[in-house]
Amino acid sequence: MSTDAPPNVSIEDLVLDGRVRIEDMVDREGLDELCKSFVTLFGIPVRIYSSDGALLADAAHEQELCAYLGGMPDGRKACAAIVGGVRAQDAGESGDVSRPCFTGATYRVMALEYDGRRVGRLIVGPFVPGSLSEPPPTLLSVDKMIDPEKAKALLAKMPRAKAETITRIAGHLKSALDLILFSGHKAHVTSKMHLASVRESYRQLEEKTARLQEAFDRLKELDKLKSNFLATVSHELRTPLTSIIGYSEMLSEGLAGELRSEQREFVKTIHDKGEQLLSLIMGLLDLSKLESGTMRMQVRGLRIEPVLDEVVSTLTPTARKKGVNLQLDVGAGLCELKGDPERLRQVFLNLVENAIKFTPSAGFVTLGARMVEDAGDGDDDEGLSLLAPTRAMLEVRVSDTGIGIPGREKLKVFDAFYQVDGSSTREYGGTGLGLSIVKRLVEAHSGSIRIEDNAPRGTVFVVSIPQPTPTVAETPRVA
Amino acid sequence: MQINFGGREIAVKLVYYGPALSGKTTNLRALHQLTTDQSRGRLMTLETKDDRTLFFDMLPLTLRAESPTGSSPGMSLRIKIFTVPGQVLHASTRRLVLQGADGVAFIADSQVSETEHNAASFLDLRRNLTELSMNVKSLPVVIQFNKRDLPRVRTDEELASLATRGKEPVFKASAVNGQGVLETFFGLLHMTWTKLDTEHHLAQMLGIESKDLVPMAARQLGLKTDVATLLSACVGGNLDRHRQVTS
Repeated sequence: MSTDAPPNVSIEDLVLDGRVRIEDMVDREGLDELCKSFVTLFGIPVRIYSSDGALLADAAHEQELCAYLGGMPDGRKACAAIVGGVRAQDAGESGDVSRPCFTGATYRVMALEYDGRRVGRLIVGPFVPGSLSEPPPTLLSVDKMIDPEKAKALLAKMPRAKAETITRIAGHLKSALDLILFSGHKAHVTSKMHLASVRESYRQLEEKTARLQEAFDRLKELDKLKSNFLATVSHELRTPLTSIIGYSEMLSEGLAGELRSEQREFVKTIHDKGEQLLSLIMGLLDLSKLESGTMRMQVRGLRIEPVLDEVVSTLTPTARKKGVNLQLDVGAGLCELKGDPERLRQVFLNLVENAIKFTPSAGFVTLGARMVEDAGDGDDDEGLSLLAPTRAMLEVRVSDTGIGIPGREKLKVFDAFYQVDGSSTREYGGTGLGLSIVKRLVEAHSGSIRIEDNAPRGTVFVVSIPQPTPTVAETPRVA
Repeated sequence: MQINFGGREIAVKLVYYGPALSGKTTNLRALHQLTTDQSRGRLMTLETKDDRTLFFDMLPLTLRAESPTGSSPGMSLRIKIFTVPGQVLHASTRRLVLQGADGVAFIADSQVSETEHNAASFLDLRRNLTELSMNVKSLPVVIQFNKRDLPRVRTDEELASLATRGKEPVFKASAVNGQGVLETFFGLLHMTWTKLDTEHHLAQMLGIESKDLVPMAARQLGLKTDVATLLSACVGGNLDRHRQVTS
């Protein structure tokens, strides 16, 4: 896969060949404090230099002898030469070099190592070796202004230590420093590793998201193609069907000569099945239009009563034929709605037709309408004082005493092509398109549809459509 | 592997891979204890509070290669041994640690109940190597069956028969007691060295005889045991596979 590029972060630099630098791992002030405490403890000056020669910590105070010599021209020169030489002194192959001073004191230059590599130098001194008692001639002759007695007195004030003691205490400082370096290095590696790890996880997530997005886009494209296909096919099916229905109608009306009763019966079957097929195709066409958002609604102000009247009068013959009692129960004070009367008629025609279909003989189907206040969703009533005026709903209930819908099926019945009884030998026919179209049409009117149980048996389909909010122009003005 | 001519260093990376709790860190701890101070650095462990490896553990070994004739200046061979975090959730870290590995020791758990975890982890190793564009076939790999001290483990006979089927050398270990740890490490070092030396003529660069490196490493790490004895603990596989394949 092209997206599976190797990780772009590497820990090699950190732990394999990465050079650890004291200045990166150790807090400079902390290092200074460590050296100062060392000086306090042993009284011997120390300085720490990085591998590039930069001074990292300096816990050396000027010795009185050095200050005295600094006050003389030749003494100052000689001091500067020694200090410069010590600063440039390499720790040598062994990692421990002594550098004597003309005063008789000594400096020790030691290598600081970490992970088998040199990372800097530790300079200990000046200190006077334990064996020295008299000022050497090199000190007394360094400047003609020097007072031998004073030089001797000041030399005696310098820190004094044996070489082995220095080795031991410097070893102690080195191991303390090594521990600090290790801790710093470890923390450094941990944080780098953390970052690298997060970046790597992020890269994987990004890849996954890209793949999902790709799949999602492809599905959306396929869905659009499916809707288009459905619309085209439905349209193409409808055209020849119109001819079948038209010609069979003309035949049954005797336009092509009088038919015998058996022939008329056959032609009527052709006509009826043609109509049935047409309504199925119209349903598919509606669904594809609703899915693709191309359904055109003729929205205008309307009253629901005539719509419901018409539904009842259309379906009364069907109900009567099946022995089902169809009743209309419209309350007073219904509001005007904004909607497409033809589409609303389709909604209630479908619901009532369904109710009749699933209600046995001598059962009841009631189509009722009333105004309700939307009670909101229980406790979730924040801002009700603002929203309440818009919450008046027109509720149309289609109740039957039919076979009912099991609880778990109540949401699924609105899916396209879904049948509660999906078997091929089912008792009740239908394509499973009706309710999905109904739901979408109701939603296109900003309404909702739900299913309730009709005690003791049967089902109630409840369609709620909000009362339109009066626009500014429609708000009655108070004079 | 990295060669730094200026710094006269060769850096080799070995990775201990395997399922969670198979004993990778324990191997490294044991190796740390069984070797001497001069050549090995501090064991760096990046672990969580419950002792599980978070990112990795790393043990650095630094060996000095001095030519016996003194004809060339010494070079150092820096070996870094890493463990990966075994837990499934650390997949990205595992891949990061595996990057640039010169050899892999696969630490398997000998318990029969862990068979599937061993297999899943080995597949994970192969997948990660492929994803890192590393050559799975030519990478030196040794397998260690750890936790031999526990009950309900695969028997020696089973391991012997498994070992003859695979091409990787197999070592048995009880890392918690320090057993088999050196054998596994030197087996891997031998294989890795053989491959790297064949490809890059490292012995020449270090100024030593090719066959002397691993014994030299053992000496510097303070081992009393002879390397040949350690390597003879290997069951099945072919420790010299890379010499034969590439030469």
